[in-house]
Amino acid sequence: MKYLGKYIVIILVLLAGVSCRKEMPEINDPQNTIAANFNEVFDAFWNGMNNNYIFWDIDTVNWDNVYKQYKPLFAKLNLNDSNDVRKGYTYFKQMTAGLVDSHYNITFNDTWLVDSPSISPSYERKSASPGFHNPISIFHFYDTIPRKYLDRGGAIRGFTNTVDGSNQYVAVSGTIQQNILYFFFSEFALKELYKTDTANGVKRVEQYFFDKLQNTANIKGIIIDVRGNPGGALADLDFLLGRMIDKQLDFGYTRSKQGNGRLDYSPWAPAFATPQAGARNITAPIVMLADAWSASMAEMTTMAVKALPNGHFVGERTWGANGPLIGNLFFNGGQFTTNYMNLVYTSSLMLKYKDGKIYEGVGFPPDVEVKYDEAALNLGQDKQLEAAIGLIH
Amino acid sequence: MKRSLFLVSTLLLLCTNYVQAQFEIGVSGGYNKNYLHTSTGYRAYTKYDALSGFTVSIPIQYHFNNWLAVEADPGYIQKNYEQKRDHFFDGIYQKNTNSYIQLPVMAHFSFGGDKLKGFMNLGGYGAYWASGRIKGAMANPFNLGPDIPDNQQTYTFFEYDKAYNYNEKYSFDSRRDRRMEFGLLAGAGIEYLLQQRYRIFVEGRYYYGLTDQQKSYMINQIPRYNDTYVIQAGCLFNLKNIFHPESATAE
Repeated sequence: MKYLGKYIVIILVLLAGVSCRKEMPEINDPQNTIAANFNEVFDAFWNGMNNNYIFWDIDTVNWDNVYKQYKPLFAKLNLNDSNDVRKGYTYFKQMTAGLVDSHYNITFNDTWLVDSPSISPSYERKSASPGFHNPISIFHFYDTIPRKYLDRGGAIRGFTNTVDGSNQYVAVSGTIQQNILYFFFSEFALKELYKTDTANGVKRVEQYFFDKLQNTANIKGIIIDVRGNPGGALADLDFLLGRMIDKQLDFGYTRSKQGNGRLDYSPWAPAFATPQAGARNITAPIVMLADAWSASMAEMTTMAVKALPNGHFVGERTWGANGPLIGNLFFNGGQFTTNYMNLVYTSSLMLKYKDGKIYEGVGFPPDVEVKYDEAALNLGQDKQLEAAIGLIH
Repeated sequence: MKRSLFLVSTLLLLCTNYVQAQFEIGVSGGYNKNYLHTSTGYRAYTKYDALSGFTVSIPIQYHFNNWLAVEADPGYIQKNYEQKRDHFFDGIYQKNTNSYIQLPVMAHFSFGGDKLKGFMNLGGYGAYWASGRIKGAMANPFNLGPDIPDNQQTYTFFEYDKAYNYNEKYSFDSRRDRRMEFGLLAGAGIEYLLQQRYRIFVEGRYYYGLTDQQKSYMINQIPRYNDTYVIQAGCLFNLKNIFHPESATAE
């Protein structure tokens, strides 16, 4: 009993200490939120970004400051007032303007915003930059190149429309001076279109190119043209490049989120292309033709080819959207939806090239730079393609 | 000069019979299980699990009387945990092995007979997160599995993206990782006086971390605290027995 008082004091001190832990914040799934007012709309989006955006490690946007600045602004808005909805759209645009993710794109469910363009920070930045140009017309690849640069009788072209008519895939292949193989395709859906049971225009072109790749005795070089190509399926990396290599081609690393913290990341896993059964090891130069409109898989394929000892890249610095995408559930991060937003389209993984640099937001640089030349293109002259041919010679 | 004098006088003081009689030093070691107190938020198929580890330390006690002592227990301790996914994502995991250099300081309350005693420890600790290692498996989107026929259902993510297995040193991020940890501890055990020279003990101890493993670097940050349960055994030697063994045995 003599020491009871002391014991009680000690126990009270310990209990006081126990209460010193921070409380767990309540974080709701942005996909299960209610857009009843702009407070909820803001919180769902801000938290969705806070926990799912993959680039916080390298991004210069201070997301905490965004919270402090925009939370009170959204609190003043009325979700049922069309003017406020327009204002909210502008705020979202401002909040995300500096994000490095060049896949980043927000589309809205709000009927008052159906006519508003999606929010694309990278497009805004690029369209305001001095060297901005529109993509090269698809007719240049479909008409001009076969007519002017590909061997007569040694060219094939085709297109395939998606069933719902929302997209059209175009492909062109042929030879240049008999033993340089040329292959253009407008998007990376090569494997998907090739594996279809029915014939389609792109599949015919693919088959032509693969046959040439396999059977041309003395290949002097290969030109893979991904100018204007916005990317597509990652499976095409092995499907296409895997036919030209005889051993694993390491070219970089990827990592995903691994926790809700902004800086919680998995380790870097190797990014590589795997040789396919029956592949022919190409030792002749393989030249990627890419430009400022080559994005995502077009950039990753360019990076992979550039990692080859016989790989080259001619053209312009690419778009800078290098991170692969998949549903949020798969890597616990990346793209998400909210009740108010149709989709916050953002990368699931961060890609680092084998040189240790991350080219997200800045684009992958060519080793032979040939700028877009509209005047020459209008005259049917393709200086980038000519430089690629010249490099092979 | 002043510093040397201080050191010499401290050593002399330590060597006096009186002080020797109060001091005990020893070794201890044991097994622990560490739980990471955190939340996975709304992440589906994702959880944190406790992992076991071990601890070794050098307990030092200074006895004020036969029921109260103060104890410091500097040593090495692992505070491990695992993040794991299940169902369709079964096989994706990461085991974090975290090594801490820790200094627990506590009040040591004894009760019972002369030879066999019970004791209770209450105090706090400071620890430095010295190093870490991560071992796990993740899906690698650049390492695709074989094509899956249209009529075939799938069971794991690894059927699409093969596993990337890793076992590497943990890289600290100075923006996020807080390497100093402070907390409370409570323990209880029994000790037995052997041959009037050694006291062997077994103890169950609980370390309650009060410091978030992360610095406050973001709004709505989910904290992470270590909760560590230790079962350990050890032996303490009275300093008097080391310097004057004959007098100790004669007592």
